[in-house]
Order: sequence, then structure tokens, then C-alpha cells
Amino acid sequence: MSTDNSDSPDADPSESFVQDTGEEGPRIEFYGGRGMSAFPIVFFILWAIAQTAFWRISDEGGLVIGILVGLIGGMFFVRGNWKTYANTIFEGMTQPVAVTAIVAWIWAGMFAQLLQDGGFVDGLVWLAQTAGIGGALFPAATFILAAVFTTGIGTGYGASIAFVTLFFPAGLLLGANPILLFGAILSGAIFGDNLAPVSDTTIVSAVTQDSDIGGVVASRFKYVIVAAIVAFGGYLVAGQFMGGLGIGGNAQEILVAESEPIGLVHLLSMGIVIGTAVAGRHIVEAISWGIVVAAVSSLALGLLSLGDIVSFNAPADAPLSQPLEFLPILTIVDDPDAIGVGGSLIQGAAGFFELAILVLLIIAAAQIMIRGGAFEAILDWSIENLATNVRNAELTMVGSAALINAVITINTAAEVAIGPYISKIGERFNLNGYRRANILDAQTAALGYIFPWSGGVLAGYSAMQELPGEFEWFDTGMLVTPIDVVPFVFQGWLLVAVFIIAALTGFGREYIIDRESEEVARL
Amino acid sequence: MSVFTKFLRGWQFRDSSPSLTVGDECSVFVAEANSDGNGHVYIGDTHLLVEGAGPETVERRVRVEVTEFDETNATGRAEFIEIVGESSYTN
Repeated sequence: MSTDNSDSPDADPSESFVQDTGEEGPRIEFYGGRGMSAFPIVFFILWAIAQTAFWRISDEGGLVIGILVGLIGGMFFVRGNWKTYANTIFEGMTQPVAVTAIVAWIWAGMFAQLLQDGGFVDGLVWLAQTAGIGGALFPAATFILAAVFTTGIGTGYGASIAFVTLFFPAGLLLGANPILLFGAILSGAIFGDNLAPVSDTTIVSAVTQDSDIGGVVASRFKYVIVAAIVAFGGYLVAGQFMGGLGIGGNAQEILVAESEPIGLVHLLSMGIVIGTAVAGRHIVEAISWGIVVAAVSSLALGLLSLGDIVSFNAPADAPLSQPLEFLPILTIVDDPDAIGVGGSLIQGAAGFFELAILVLLIIAAAQIMIRGGAFEAILDWSIENLATNVRNAELTMVGSAALINAVITINTAAEVAIGPYISKIGERFNLNGYRRANILDAQTAALGYIFPWSGGVLAGYSAMQELPGEFEWFDTGMLVTPIDVVPFVFQGWLLVAVFIIAALTGFGREYIIDRESEEVARL
Repeated sequence: MSVFTKFLRGWQFRDSSPSLTVGDECSVFVAEANSDGNGHVYIGDTHLLVEGAGPETVERRVRVEVTEFDETNATGRAEFIEIVGESSYTN
């Protein structure tokens, strides 16, 4: 702890001051100095890079093991009693950031699955089919539709898979350029992943920066839409110059098979979630309304049955299975392996279970780093060398968030890991929570869908590899190699560019004195 | 504020050294503190010396009243009133 007597506001800010040393919590001392407290999180990042980038395994379960091994390994470097280290793991896991993110994810997961199972994409396919768009315009139209779809369901990975499965083969038959088309799909996924209130990355960006999700969505619209308008123009122009494969064939056949105009009803539930969240309602309330409207409308219009939403597969010898077999949600099964609970709600919520465990452990590792002093050391170095003024601070935030998301395939995990750093750098300059969350999530969404090892690209590419088996005319030569699509993910590159320009020019910058984000208790 | 208005907030180029008005109360994060019990607050590149904001206020959100402000150098003084909030990550 250093001291300084500079009582003038004109004094050199780089002089040493009393920093917050975390007196409120116990300190942990490590062999090798305070830098060793970064061991668990550095080990995790290296594990994540090896697993997801080098070996292309997008398995969150593997990342859970990575952080667990890191936490165990870090313990061996602790000086003295290990109890404080162990208690700090619990202290980190019980931070509001982790709990609020997990609760919001579970709600968002149920809503997203209802929209997917309820045929939302089929409604968008109908729109594309009815509009009768040609090959040159198809990538631009696909970008818009994928953006709308992802804004509804929140998961860009899901959108990549759905659109590669349905729109990609149809676009090829219409004469669209495959690389451009894949880039447009990924761009749409980025748009929604960044903007949707039910997106896991949106939720993480808001809660790590102490901001309400609705406010974050409204405040980031300006950056997303500026990038999207330019990206849309890019796809329009590039579509004119980049030719297709000249396959011929009837694209309408593919589209008609999956076309269901009534699926567009989910625009209503999507609008309700966005509207109520931005209006300031609790995110749990906003998504709950979306779930209710999506479920009721799907049931009323025959898009889903009650059993599709929630179903119980019970054994015949269960006490009340036979008498209650008439219930639409109950099925008696003979196969012991088939016993269980299914349906959209459980499937949607369960999709986040592994991620929930992962985020708890990452935040625990971050807390070890804070208590051990490595976090403070990195911050001090950053403040002295990088974030020397507000413009450089924002560029540092953009750069650090972009870098970690470029190297870790699963962008939500990367976002959780870098969240505390973004928070502290931004708070130092009194940037409000919305601005910090927007800087963080734009890089997270963008970089998660650009590089060949990015999760979004891998999800779409995996779906694409199934296409030769589905269509006779689709040969493996038509597959888009992930490296080829990198320059054509316009929304991703533009979103990063928008934030570099915003940091340099002050576009959209808000300080805490301009507007305080709503309290985190309300999400 | 209506839903529509919320989407229109922040469509502006904000100064890196925002101005403050003497007499205004605002809540801000304290970046650093001197040993004599004064805190340093940076709002962008604007620098405020906050009297009475000691080490216990560092990385916490505090309410202050601006007592002096020099527009040219974007520096000023303020008086500490109370702690009103915590950082997103508590130490």
C-alpha cells in the first residue's frame, strides 16, 4: 500500500495512491508471489485453448474439468493453511454475478426452446419463400432473417445450425455464393447473440457490469444497428459480384417443405420479452411472459402439443401411471432407459446446466485471483501502461475482450473470465454499466463467430457436413471451409470496428453521472 | 422513460472530459485515495479530488458534492457525502 500527499486534482494521476487492497476479505499468499494466484484461471484458459481451438472440441463438460484441475493445482502453491483458499472458492461461487446469470439463463433456455420447437424458423422460411428472392439477394435476406431469429431465441449456435440446415441448401440452389451465404448466417447469429435479452452473452454482460438486461439491450441497439446496416449493404453488393455454383434445381422444394407461416406468431412472444425487459420489468418476469405467450399460442395454433412442452415417461408399474395414462403429458414406457421427463421446457433449461457449473467455477477462480493479488497486479499494470485515459481505457477493454474471445471457442466462458477486468477498468473512469456491458458483449458476440475455431462457426460447419447425406446434389466440394468464411462475417468485423471508432470518438459513451444503470438486484 | 426513448439514449459523441457544475451532487466510483483521507475520482479524463473520501471508499460508489471546477483543465474538488454502492466485484 503506497501513500501520496498530492492533494491537488492537477497532480499526476500516475503517481502511486492507496489502492483498494481488499481489506474486507482474507488475503491468500502464494509461493512464487501474487502472480501465482492467477494459476487456476491461466490454467483454464490454456486448457480451453487446447481443447477448443487446437482440438476443436466444443464441450463445456471438458471446460468444467479444466477449471476444476486448475483450482486443485492452484492450491499446491498456497503458503500456509489451505482453508482460506478453499473458502474463497465458495466466496466466489456465491457472488450475485454467478447466481443471477444462471437464473436468467434457465428462464431464457426454456423460452428459446419453445420458440425453436414451436416452428419459429419455419415462419421465417415461409417469408423467404413467399418473397421469391433470387440468388444475388439471398445472402442479404438470410442475414436479416437469421438476425430476427437469433434475437428471438438468443442462441447464435442454434441459429447457425437451423439456418445452415434450411437456408444454406436453398440458397445454393438459387445461385447464392456459399461462402457469402455462410457469412451472412453467422452475421445474423452475431446480431441476435449480441442484442437478444435472452442471449446468454447478453445476460453475462449485464450482470457482470451491474446492469439491468433491458437497459443493456436498449442501449446497445445503436451500435448493433449501425454495424448491421453496413453489413446488410455489404451482403447486397457482394451478392451481385460473388456468383453461385450454378447447380440449378428447385430451391422452393426445400423451402416449401419447411414453410409454416403460422410460426411467425413467435414474433409476438419475442416482442413481448424485448418490450417488457426494456420497459424495466424484471427479466424473469419478462421472459416468463414470453414463455406463457409462446406456449399458449403454440398450443392454440397446433404448433406444439402439451406433451411437446412437458412430458413424463413413466414405467407401467408406477402406482398412478396406469390410472392417469389419459393425461396428454403422461406416457407409459416399457423400456427402462426411456423413463424420464422431457419436452421443450426441460430441454431448454438443461441446455444451460453445464454452463451454470462452469460459470460458478470460473468466478471462483477469478475470486482466487482477486484475493491473491494477481488481479490487482494486472489492473495496476494496465492502468499504468494501457488505460492511461478514458479513450485508451475503452480501447483496452475492446482489445482485451476481443483477444480472450478470439482464443476461447466458447464465448460465454471467455466473457465470464474477462468480466471483472472490464468492470474494474470501466469503473475507474466512471463509465456506466451499459457502456461497459456493451463493449464487453460486442467483442464476445463478434469474435465467437468469425474464426475457424469459433463455436458459432463450428456449430454451423457441423450442420453443413450433414447436408451431403440429405441432398443428392450436394457434394462435399460445396462445403464452405471455415477459414474461407472469415472475411465475410461482416457483422462481426463491423461490430468490432464500431466499438474501436466509438472508443476513439466517444460515440455512445455514457458516464455514471449521465445515467446510472438499474441495480443488479433487478438483473 | 418510454421503451422507444430508451433505444434513442446515447446517440451522441460524449466528451472525454465531461464538465461538472459547482453545487451538483453526483455518485461516482473512487479510483484511489491518499493517506490523508482524500480520494481521487476520474470521470473520463476529468479529475476530482474528493475531500473526506479515504481508503475505505476506494472502488466504491460514493455520493459527492462538487465544490470547485476548472473547465479549462477539467479538474475540480468535491466533498464526500456517503458511500452509496459497491463495485460489480467486491474485494
